[in-house]
Amino acid sequence: MKRADGSRRVVVTGMGAVTPIGLDVNEYWASLKAGKCGVGRIENFPIEDLYIPIAGEIKGFDPATHVKSKQVQYGERYSWFAGRAADEAWTQSGLAKPYGNPYRACCIVGSGAGGYSTVENAYRSLFIENKKATHPLTLLRIIVSSASAHVGIEYGIKGPTFATCSACSTATHAISLAYDYIRNGVVDVGVAGASEAVLTYGSMRVWQAMRVLSPDGCFPFNKKRNGTVLAEGAGILILEEYEHARRRGAPILAELLGCGLSSDSKDMVNPDIDGPRSAMQLALDDAGLDPSEIDYLNAHGTATALNDVNETNAIKAVFGDHASKLAISSTKSMTGHLLGAGGGIEAIACIKAMEEGFVPPTINLTDPDPKCDLDYVPNVGREKKVRYTMSNSFAFGGLNAVLVFGQPPA
Amino acid sequence: MDEVATKIIEILKKHMKEPRDNIELSTPLTDLKIESLDLAMIVFDIEDSFQIEIPYNANEEVEDFKTVGSVVDRVKSLIAAGPAGAGAAKA
Repeated sequence: MKRADGSRRVVVTGMGAVTPIGLDVNEYWASLKAGKCGVGRIENFPIEDLYIPIAGEIKGFDPATHVKSKQVQYGERYSWFAGRAADEAWTQSGLAKPYGNPYRACCIVGSGAGGYSTVENAYRSLFIENKKATHPLTLLRIIVSSASAHVGIEYGIKGPTFATCSACSTATHAISLAYDYIRNGVVDVGVAGASEAVLTYGSMRVWQAMRVLSPDGCFPFNKKRNGTVLAEGAGILILEEYEHARRRGAPILAELLGCGLSSDSKDMVNPDIDGPRSAMQLALDDAGLDPSEIDYLNAHGTATALNDVNETNAIKAVFGDHASKLAISSTKSMTGHLLGAGGGIEAIACIKAMEEGFVPPTINLTDPDPKCDLDYVPNVGREKKVRYTMSNSFAFGGLNAVLVFGQPPA
Repeated sequence: MDEVATKIIEILKKHMKEPRDNIELSTPLTDLKIESLDLAMIVFDIEDSFQIEIPYNANEEVEDFKTVGSVVDRVKSLIAAGPAGAGAAKA
């Protein structure tokens, strides 16, 4: 059974998440349903003189116990998160390890920044501690493609393997590329998503200098929102050609129906309505859906002054009258902003919402901004039948990527 | 205009796309066509020039950054507070 245009159908057969509110999909989803907040005072490194003292940290992560693969353990924090999320997703899919038809699988695991903590520690040891050399694995840990290589090695994947890099749209770009490869017959199976681990003193100083972080919390669509909150983790999907999945009796969690990619081509930080609007419209067109068929939208919802109003206006431009009937939430209110990995864990939130008929809330929405006047599922999640969902990712530079998922094929 | 004001206007001009000479203390920053990222760079330059830290957040409508004069006043109060005072202002 093929799509209307004769291309192949793409389904999701595995999911893996490492987040500040759960180290696997079940724990992450339970936290989203409960409205649990993963943002708190930084504990993993000394705050020193930072005036932004909060983040969505993953606490007590130990590669020796949380990452099964020895070769992934040689990587750094961002590869560990990717390795753990990929292991959860691959195990759920039931695919053989190593994969039996290795050139028919791809591994696209992106990152906004790669091995940021390794860069910082290496330069600290050279420039401050006057060490003679950096650790021999420093380069391999830093490169932004190392997580994709580690994960590809783990499952014996010999098809296209690389990282995407588009700031906050990284995971969504990775998923849309794997979707295209499977749809067009390049491969049958794809590992796709992203990982991010940029919570270091130096990185916080870099973000602090941009003046876009909140010092006290993540409040999407709230009148008092005052910036985003950095977080870390990974979100990875196993995508598979529908017949391939059906033949082997795989668990089919959802169908990936459409992707829309666009660029504002305008400004590095000030978002445009037309870019996000066109990405959402392209994703709907690709899926062959009317806007009114989307029941839940996981917003980019960063809690910056500019994004939340702009995204609200872009949603209205695409959905028209349906915009006010749509359940929308920013799960970043609970996880913080996982940057490149955000689109990965948010795609998982969309799929779980369909699976369980429950839409997660936007917490911390005590006093909505009058300019943000849609249904953001404030503070408490709710039961709702969800047929189709949309996940938005909009990045610095105006790089937009949108996914549309549907229920598993009947 | 005193030394602090002159220096701040110099920094503003450096970051304006179309520098102009008629900048008064009462001039609103919006009249100078300064956008959010420009303001982050201006604040960085001011911090560097005066050796102070300004807890500016681009997401908030900060009264302290409405006019040239309000920026000058904010900088003067941070200079007067000294390094310890600037630290306290951050919290």
